[in-house]
Amino acid sequence: MPRKRHRDARARRIGLIILAACAIVAAPALIILFSVAGRSSSPWFGQYDPDTHPGYNFALTDQNGKPVRLQDLRGQAVLLSFGFTRCPNICPTTLGNLAAVYRKLPPAAQERTKVVFVSVDERDTPASLKEYVPFFNDRFVGLTGPPADIGTTARAYGASFRKAPATGGDKDDYMIDHSTYTHLIDPEGNLRVLYRFEQLPETEKIADDVLRVLAQAPGKQP
Amino acid sequence: MKRILCALLLSPGLIFAGDLKIEGAWIRALPPSSKSTAAFMTIVNRSDAPVLITGGSCPAAGEIKPMITTKQEDGVMGMAFVESFSVPAKGRRVLEPGGDHLMLMKLKEVPKAGATVPMVLTTESGGVKSHIHLDVPVR
Repeated sequence: MPRKRHRDARARRIGLIILAACAIVAAPALIILFSVAGRSSSPWFGQYDPDTHPGYNFALTDQNGKPVRLQDLRGQAVLLSFGFTRCPNICPTTLGNLAAVYRKLPPAAQERTKVVFVSVDERDTPASLKEYVPFFNDRFVGLTGPPADIGTTARAYGASFRKAPATGGDKDDYMIDHSTYTHLIDPEGNLRVLYRFEQLPETEKIADDVLRVLAQAPGKQP
Repeated sequence: MKRILCALLLSPGLIFAGDLKIEGAWIRALPPSSKSTAAFMTIVNRSDAPVLITGGSCPAAGEIKPMITTKQEDGVMGMAFVESFSVPAKGRRVLEPGGDHLMLMKLKEVPKAGATVPMVLTTESGGVKSHIHLDVPVR
């Protein structure tokens, strides 16, 4: 009988040790699990910037020859990307996806959203942008300007670009390697969300981000 | 009979083309001012030897060349010509938006959405050149 009690006590002790060991192992695992879950439960699809970083207030010219500054677009969500009109694959993919995002927005939100395409190609003009950008959506804005202004704007948005070697005999027949990120700028003019090129086909999720950015604006409903 | 035999001997493509299957081909509709556009498709190689796609031709374009998309860590993307796309034996090669594609260059006429464009792909396997005829929708 005492022998059995002794055995019980030992079993309890072992049980307690196992329990403690489990707790020691499990606690950090649970902490990691919760923090990962916490991160993935962020409502934002793109890379969200909670801090306030005002987007560079560019002053460029649109496809109708009209001057446009970022400041003029206050009160609207802006989806901003860089490219060039001779781009046969990357830029049409980007603009095609952004057109799908735009179509998914309710009309009231469309009114408060601008898709802006900044050309990094010195060969582009308001006329060439007019032939290209409205093809994807006639409300989209194509911007061009003096090379120095384009360079400053691109740098300010972390975008880079360079001429690729000419392909044929014609030295003007070249492509441009360029950044493929898309910025979502909030109605206050702050950089809010960044999308990688590969994320752009998720047009529904990006439309949700746009609605969220519009809803964040003080005193405004999307 | 003799003529048929001649035709078969002169065009190994007829025999060879059966080993290659093109799936889901399409050409991207672009603004009328465009100088070039891209064709996308999945090339399935059912043969026991790798096949190269070296380019192609179509009435609307001056030339068609294989292009790969280059990507750097900072999100900068670009394009580069390659001699050919290799399709592995019993394998496939996917040409898709934002990735590898066949570039239709020196466009005489920009293909319009809804149209169908006849296209010839030039292939090579074991040193033998061949052609595949396709009708590719534009969208």
